[in-house]
Amino acid sequence: MFLKNLFKRTAEKIALHDIQAIILRDRPLPYHGVNVFLEILNPASAKAFLKEIVPYVTSAKNWWDNNDAWLAIAFTYEGLKKLELPPSTLESFPDAFKKGMAARSEKLMDINENAPEKWDPVFKTTSNHIAVSITAKNLDDLNAKKTLALQVLEKYKGVKLCFQADFDTPIEGNFNHFGFRDGISNPEIEGSGAEQLNSKERPIKAGEFIMGYANEAGNHYPMPQPLEFARNGTFVIFRKYHSHVAAFNRYLQEQAKTKDEQELLAAKMVGRWRSGAPLNMCPFKDNAALGADTTKNNDFDFSNDQNGKLVPYSSHMRRMNPRNSKMAVMSDVNLHRIIRKGVGYGPALPNGSTKDDGKERGLYFIAFSAKAMETLEFLQREWVNSGNFMSLKNEKDPVIGLNEGKGTFTLPGEPLPKRFTGMPTFNTLKGGMYLFMPGINAIKWLSEL
Amino acid sequence: MNIKQLTQDAGLKLKLYLATLGEPLDKAHEVTSAGDAGLRSGELSELTIITDLKPDGARNLRTIFETLKGNLTGARKVGTLHDMRFVFLENDTKLLFCTCYDGDWDTYINDFATKIPEMMDLIFGNIEGWPGIKSPTVKEFILSKQITASAWFVSHPNLTVADTTRLEKIGAGLNKLLEL
Repeated sequence: MFLKNLFKRTAEKIALHDIQAIILRDRPLPYHGVNVFLEILNPASAKAFLKEIVPYVTSAKNWWDNNDAWLAIAFTYEGLKKLELPPSTLESFPDAFKKGMAARSEKLMDINENAPEKWDPVFKTTSNHIAVSITAKNLDDLNAKKTLALQVLEKYKGVKLCFQADFDTPIEGNFNHFGFRDGISNPEIEGSGAEQLNSKERPIKAGEFIMGYANEAGNHYPMPQPLEFARNGTFVIFRKYHSHVAAFNRYLQEQAKTKDEQELLAAKMVGRWRSGAPLNMCPFKDNAALGADTTKNNDFDFSNDQNGKLVPYSSHMRRMNPRNSKMAVMSDVNLHRIIRKGVGYGPALPNGSTKDDGKERGLYFIAFSAKAMETLEFLQREWVNSGNFMSLKNEKDPVIGLNEGKGTFTLPGEPLPKRFTGMPTFNTLKGGMYLFMPGINAIKWLSEL
Repeated sequence: MNIKQLTQDAGLKLKLYLATLGEPLDKAHEVTSAGDAGLRSGELSELTIITDLKPDGARNLRTIFETLKGNLTGARKVGTLHDMRFVFLENDTKLLFCTCYDGDWDTYINDFATKIPEMMDLIFGNIEGWPGIKSPTVKEFILSKQITASAWFVSHPNLTVADTTRLEKIGAGLNKLLEL
């Protein structure tokens, strides 16, 4: 089925049949899935496993059709070392990838509450080598694909299942744990064969996201060697966040009196109402129909809201994609975009509850970029944990910033702005890693080394 | 270290103490390493480069600077630059380039490559070995030329360019109110 109302067909200029589906496909609504991490005990056995699993890896061919379950594979640097790749290949990876996310914590501002010492034990080990991710539109499809993969896995004793993390749409209707519509905006990729319907943004050069193509500067970012290994691959950011939903609900109640005022504050922090409707299109009241309309809910920029009175500069949505905002620091927005395919985990907290039930819930933040390490460091330092680029000194992102009870949130206003204070961290980092997601032919190449 | 040097150092320290009247050091002006090279003071960093110019380099740069009457207004749009200085050394064969800016210089290097590539290459293309602002090796090139300052003072280490601009506006607004 071609999603006519979402995309219009354009020329295909990138090798969709070789690029992994997860990078381009939108998640089905609702989605079900599993992320599995494998440890390599024996390289020969692991390569044989990869050779047999390659035919099950889903390509991005016809990526706009997300009907069938899809399987994706990626590798940590530890995993590539375990596979005994040629030293020249291992050496050719960017430094930040080789060192890993935990070792770059200072650069990432992953400190204090978010420091690697506080992460889940499973993210402190070096035995997460291969990641396998399966996504499907229902549990039957998911289990069928999972069974196939497990049957292959069981044959090879050199690969051990380390941990398995299931994920599902947290709240029916594709809402995240905080009760907001999820996964609305992703960058459009030039030559990917289909365009989204945002008239205010142009497609971004494929080389920003996928290796082997020109980037926005007309160049290539550093990529592993040889080219046949790098081509159609990308880097993956994997971060596990624990969402403090009760604390969020509590903060709204402490800061605003009426239910309407609380909802407005929540919308101002996110940039959208819970339905997904952007504040600049309906500033006073949520509009559920607009929020659900994927042809309209992302078709805007901030050129008519330069004072931030509709969508505050500091809101999560405006920070992560300033869309023609006048910024205090010269920035090329198209260089700092990522493809986001994050998924929720854990049971939902009862609607509006301000009491934490002690259960683990949150987000597996999964994102793709040809320079993922550089982009994540940029985002964390400049757009998430600082406000300088929008002349807001050290104010941080209200949703994913490291606010630690000292956070502020500024609403532009006449004659004076309104400032909320004492904001806690609403999403705490529990682990993270970088992975390399090769093209499908590159997995074959690797399995035959 | 020999006795003579020890005595000499002790003498210097005594003179320094007398010159500053033992005034305690303000932590706000502490400098740390800005990463691989350069110094950092609060939100600000310094970058100093002394490097060879191409045969016509100094001449080209002088033409550019004279045309602009030495006024580099265009640099304002970068939004993180506090100052920039170009000095020709050794009979126009070398360039001394000094600048002070907010944060780390490499954070926005990719943005320079797509937002102001012509300007970057027009100026820095006069340096021997300049790989071009769009080159993947430009970061390493700059780093290889950088000389870390031995001491550095900035008056307001916690005010970025954006902060100063904002405070200037607030000040002007307040003054207007007072003069009503």
